[in-house]
Amino acid sequence: MNAELWQQPIETLAPAIRSGKVSPVALTEACLDRIGQVDGELNSFIHISKHALQAARAAEAEIRKGKWRGPLHGIPVGVKDNYLTQDMPTTAGSTAPGLAFPLRDSGAVSRLRAAGAVLIGKTRTHEFAWGNVTPLVSNPWDVTRVPSGSSGGSGAAVAAGLCISALGSDTGGSIRMPAAACGTVGLKATFGRVSRDGVVPHSWSLDHAGALTRTVADTALMMQVLAGYDAADPACQAQPVPDYAKALNKPVKDLKIGVCRNHFFDRVQEDVARAIEQAIDDLAQAGAQIQEFNIPLLEYGLGAIYAIELSSSTAYHDASLRAGRVSHYEPDVRMLVEMGRLVTGPDYLLAEQYRSALMQAYRKVFDTVDVVLGPTTPITAWKRGEWTVKVAGQAESVLAAYWRFTYPYNLTGLPAISVPCGFDRDGLPIGLQIAARPFDEATVLRVAHAYERGHEWKNMRPDI
Amino acid sequence: MNFPEDPYRELLGLNLPPERLAEVLQAYADILGEIRKLRTLNLTDEHPAVIFEPTAPYRLKK
Repeated sequence: MNAELWQQPIETLAPAIRSGKVSPVALTEACLDRIGQVDGELNSFIHISKHALQAARAAEAEIRKGKWRGPLHGIPVGVKDNYLTQDMPTTAGSTAPGLAFPLRDSGAVSRLRAAGAVLIGKTRTHEFAWGNVTPLVSNPWDVTRVPSGSSGGSGAAVAAGLCISALGSDTGGSIRMPAAACGTVGLKATFGRVSRDGVVPHSWSLDHAGALTRTVADTALMMQVLAGYDAADPACQAQPVPDYAKALNKPVKDLKIGVCRNHFFDRVQEDVARAIEQAIDDLAQAGAQIQEFNIPLLEYGLGAIYAIELSSSTAYHDASLRAGRVSHYEPDVRMLVEMGRLVTGPDYLLAEQYRSALMQAYRKVFDTVDVVLGPTTPITAWKRGEWTVKVAGQAESVLAAYWRFTYPYNLTGLPAISVPCGFDRDGLPIGLQIAARPFDEATVLRVAHAYERGHEWKNMRPDI
Repeated sequence: MNFPEDPYRELLGLNLPPERLAEVLQAYADILGEIRKLRTLNLTDEHPAVIFEPTAPYRLKK
């Protein structure tokens, strides 16, 4: 291994750990040292586990005895602070008094622990995962900019090498947006694929659990552990889990790649548009067939996701709202929680009817294409403290602008990944989004991996 | 039941002073614009993507 341990992906570390060439203790110490060196500036972690080194020692001892549990054994993983953990406190990013989350492992954390992962700490989230800034956390590519959110701590930590992978959650884009802003891979799997048991709810029918990683192969390895039925999550489905690693290294020749030309290419930063068109050309050069189409219904999506997200979030926080506790929430989150009371019942159900219509529209598209590709976000990471951005000459709030291309896949529940596809003129990462049919994460990974293999983006690191 | 002096407070269940309610309404204006757009669709024949599932309580919990 030529690079520092903390710079390596799971795909490189796992065989080295298994063969004894890399020690899980040395790897965990390298990540903890890295946290000590740079997290004062990044603020990506809210809590560092007191048990991480002990878990690493246990993993090392077990592997030495020949009991290797799999590719995550001995790998330091960060956990977003809205996943319950038995040995670390959970705050969901809130300092409001009167909140107490139980000390128990969420479904995803249980799976990671069983796979031998070293849970290194809790990463910062926008309060209750309700926003795309993640206050306090800086973007490792430019510390004057936001890492996006709400899984901004996970995005910054993975990009800067403070952990090898991290859990995130995605209600309107909160895994894919920080992945795009921080230059990592982030997969929101199909709704029902990964258990959300023990993830502090934001919006029950939009919330997804998943991971951020440095490479597509690492996402496949994380998914192999995270995916699967869990009766404790009412939405989780007992669908067969394929061998995701087998989907990798396959050519894209003869795959049909759809490009939705309305909505996803409206008001896009010039450098982002250029990078996406180049990615489409690259995949066409690799033998994929490109098919362009439109989904006019997308024009109505913002009202639908707001209606569902606002009313659901307010229902979850209803007791706190009535008790006056939301006055201790951050001003932006307090406003959104109070606002949810204004969404009427008929509007909520209209949004759910719209959702069915949008799902049907996508189903028709997937009759003729294998994946749909486009930008993850219309802009790159913006300056901290900016609440309005200019996109293609038009002023727009960051809350409205940044999630425009990610929320359609929360409304439809389809699997969607963000994979790095270049940098803008300021050296900030750009994300390529690839979506597929329900439970076809394998094809998402196949296309993302084929694209990643043809480029050097995954080897580029922020200078921090 | 007779509505009290401030029916909005009762209907919305939002116990806020008038100036705060005005702020919330102001912030909601753009979102309401998007919801108004949604209301122009005729979705009469679409079943909402909310499925009632009476067997849910019988699923095996861990």
